[in-house]
Amino acid sequence: MRWTLFIGALIGSSICDREKFFGDQVFRINVRNGDEISKLSQLVNSNNLKLDVWKSLSTFNRPMDVLVPSVSLQAVKSFLRSQGLEYAVAIEDLQIYHEMDNIAADFPDLVRRVKIGHSFENRPMYVLKFSTGEGARRPAIWLNAGIHSREWISQATAIWTARKIVSDYQRDPAITSILEKMDIFLLPVANPDGYVYTQTQNRLWRKTRSLNPGSSCVGADPNRNWNASFAGKGASDNPCSEVYHGPHANSEVEVKSVVDFIQKHGNFKCFIDLHSYSQLLMYPYGYSAKKAPDAKELDKVARRAAKALASVSGTEYQVGPTCTTVYPASGSSIDWAYDNGIKFAFTFELRDTGTYGFLLPANQIIPTAEETWLGLKTIMEHVRDNLY
Amino acid sequence: MQPRRQPPPAPRSGPGNPRPTAPLLALLLLLAPVVAPAGSRGAEDPAQPQDAGVPRRLLQQAARAALHFFNFRAGSPSALRVLAEVQEGRAWINPKEGCKVDVVFSTERYKPESLLQEGEGRLGKCSARVVFKNQKPRPAINVTCTRLIEKKKRQQEDYLLYKQMKQLKNPLEIVSIPDNHGHIDPYLRPIWDLAFLGSSYVMWEMTTQVSHYYLAQLTSVRQWKTNDDTIDFDYTVLLHELSTQEIIPCHIHLVWYPGKPLKVKYHCQELQTPEEASGTEEGSAVPTELSNF
Repeated sequence: MRWTLFIGALIGSSICDREKFFGDQVFRINVRNGDEISKLSQLVNSNNLKLDVWKSLSTFNRPMDVLVPSVSLQAVKSFLRSQGLEYAVAIEDLQIYHEMDNIAADFPDLVRRVKIGHSFENRPMYVLKFSTGEGARRPAIWLNAGIHSREWISQATAIWTARKIVSDYQRDPAITSILEKMDIFLLPVANPDGYVYTQTQNRLWRKTRSLNPGSSCVGADPNRNWNASFAGKGASDNPCSEVYHGPHANSEVEVKSVVDFIQKHGNFKCFIDLHSYSQLLMYPYGYSAKKAPDAKELDKVARRAAKALASVSGTEYQVGPTCTTVYPASGSSIDWAYDNGIKFAFTFELRDTGTYGFLLPANQIIPTAEETWLGLKTIMEHVRDNLY
Repeated sequence: MQPRRQPPPAPRSGPGNPRPTAPLLALLLLLAPVVAPAGSRGAEDPAQPQDAGVPRRLLQQAARAALHFFNFRAGSPSALRVLAEVQEGRAWINPKEGCKVDVVFSTERYKPESLLQEGEGRLGKCSARVVFKNQKPRPAINVTCTRLIEKKKRQQEDYLLYKQMKQLKNPLEIVSIPDNHGHIDPYLRPIWDLAFLGSSYVMWEMTTQVSHYYLAQLTSVRQWKTNDDTIDFDYTVLLHELSTQEIIPCHIHLVWYPGKPLKVKYHCQELQTPEEASGTEEGSAVPTELSNF
C-alpha cells in the first residue's frame, strides 16, 4: 500500500473526487486580459490534467489559484510558459496542512489550527491545539514531529495521532481525563521546507533548507540548533555536515518559532519529539553523559511507556538517556526543553531498526502509530498525575 | 523475552589468553577489561549501571560488524541475517590502539517484506570476536553462528534466486529499490538481496567502534550481466551512517554464483581508494589481488 494511498484513506471524508498526492502544488496565475482568461480556461477544462480551481477569477489583475496534481506539473508549466502566462507556485505540498485544517474544522470545540511562525522558505508552521478549557495558560504538552524531514513515519504518526485524539476524546477515559487537565499542542511538520524537499528532490534530506553564506551546502540540523550546550559534542560546524548546528542557537527560524511560542506560553510540562529510526525511547541528556536530576523518574516512565508500546505488536524499544543510548548530541530539542523547566522530555526513535530505515513502507504506518499512541498516552497520563 | 544472563566472568589480566595470538591481537595491550552483561531491550532492571552504556553500544557495534562479515562470507543472498539482540559480551579497551570485543548475539532472517510475525523469526545464535583498530577500517572478525537454515535448502534457494535473476528483463531501468515509499517490487527482490549481500562486505569494512551503517537504498544499476556461471552486478547504493547521520553513496561491483565465494570491489564517496576482496579471506588488512576479476 503506497504512502499516497494511505494518506488518501486517512483523509477519508475530505477527499472530493480524487486522492491527493504528495508533491501537489498550488499555482497562482496572473491574468491581465480576456485573451489570457480564455487560454487559462483551455488549461483548466482539459480533462487529463485534473486541475482543481481553488480561487477563480472575478476580475483581471487578480490571480487565480489552481491546484495542480504532481503528475501534471510539467505539462502545466510548459503550457503556461508557452502561452506567456505569469505564474508563481503558491504553496508546495499542502496535503498534511489540508488535513490539519479539516481536523480543526471537524472538531471546532476541541481543536484549533494555530500558526506559530514560518519556515526559511516562508511556509507556514502550523500546530494543532487540543484544548477543552478556556482561560489562563493551562499546563500543556508539546508533541513535535518531522523535525528531520526524511523521517516520514514521524509526520505520518503525528497526523494519525491528531485524528486519534479527536476521535477518542470522550470515548477513551485516558485521553479524556488528560485533556480535562491539560492542553496538547501538536506540530506534525516542524521542518516544512525539508519535508517538501524530500518529496520533490531528495528523499533522504534531513536538515532545513536555509542558505549558508560562503558555502554551497544548504541547511542546518534543526535538532542541533537548540540552545542547550549549543555547538558542543555530537554536532558539526561544517555546513555540509548532516549535523551542522548552524551559525548560532535558534538561527533556524523553524526552531526559533517553537522556542518563542513555548517560552511565551510559559506553562509546558512535557515535550515529546518524534524521530526515526532505531526503536528507542530516550530522555536527557544528549549533550553530556551527566545524569539528569530526574533521570530515575524519567527512566521509569519511559520503561512503562515502552512496555505499553510493545503490548500492541511486540515492537521492542531500548530505553535510556540520549548520550549513552544512541550518541552524544548537543543542541537537541529535548535537552533544551528539560533545561528550561519542562521536566517530562522524551525522544522517540520510531520503527524500524534498519531493515527499511527511513523508507518504512506504508503498511507499517498504522501499526507504528497505534503502538506509539500507547506509549504517548502512558507518558501523558503520568504527566497528568504528576503536575508540578 | 528475557535473555539468559550469565554472571560476569572474573576479569582477566595479562595476555593469558588461550586463543592463538594473531599479529593484530598482539598489538593490543590488555588493560582493565570492561565486563558488561548486556541487558535486553526494554527490560526493567534498575540495577543496570549507567556507565555500562558504553560497553553495550560497543557490543552492538561488534555484533553488527560480525554479522556483516558473516553475511559476506556466507555469500548467500537467500540466507541473510540481521541482528536480533545482543546477549552478552566483554570488551578490552586500549584507548591508544583500539579494542577487542567478545560478543554473543541472536539473529533473525532478513525478510523485508514480512512484518513482525510470531514464530517466523527463528533465532540463530552467533558468537564473535571482533578487533577494532583505532582510525583503521576493516575490523578483524572471527564469527560462528548456529545454522538457521539447512545447508541444502539454502543452496536450493540461492540457486532459485540465481535462476530468477537470469530471467530478469534488463534491470537497468529501475530507479530505486526500495522506492521512496519503501516499496520493493517482488519481481526485483532478488536484485535487492544481492545488492544487500555486496553491501555487507562494504559495511563490514567500514564499521568501527563508533561508526555503523545501514543499507538505505539501491539507487542505480550500471551493469547487470548474467553468464552461465556468474552474475556480474555493478550498482550504486546509499549507506546511512548512524553516528554522523551521513548518507554515503557507494559504487559496488560484485560477481556471484551460488556456492562460490563472493567477489566484491567498491568505492564509497568518502573513501579515496577502491577496495578489493575475495570471498575466502579472513579479514586481514592486506587487500588481495583477484586473478579472474
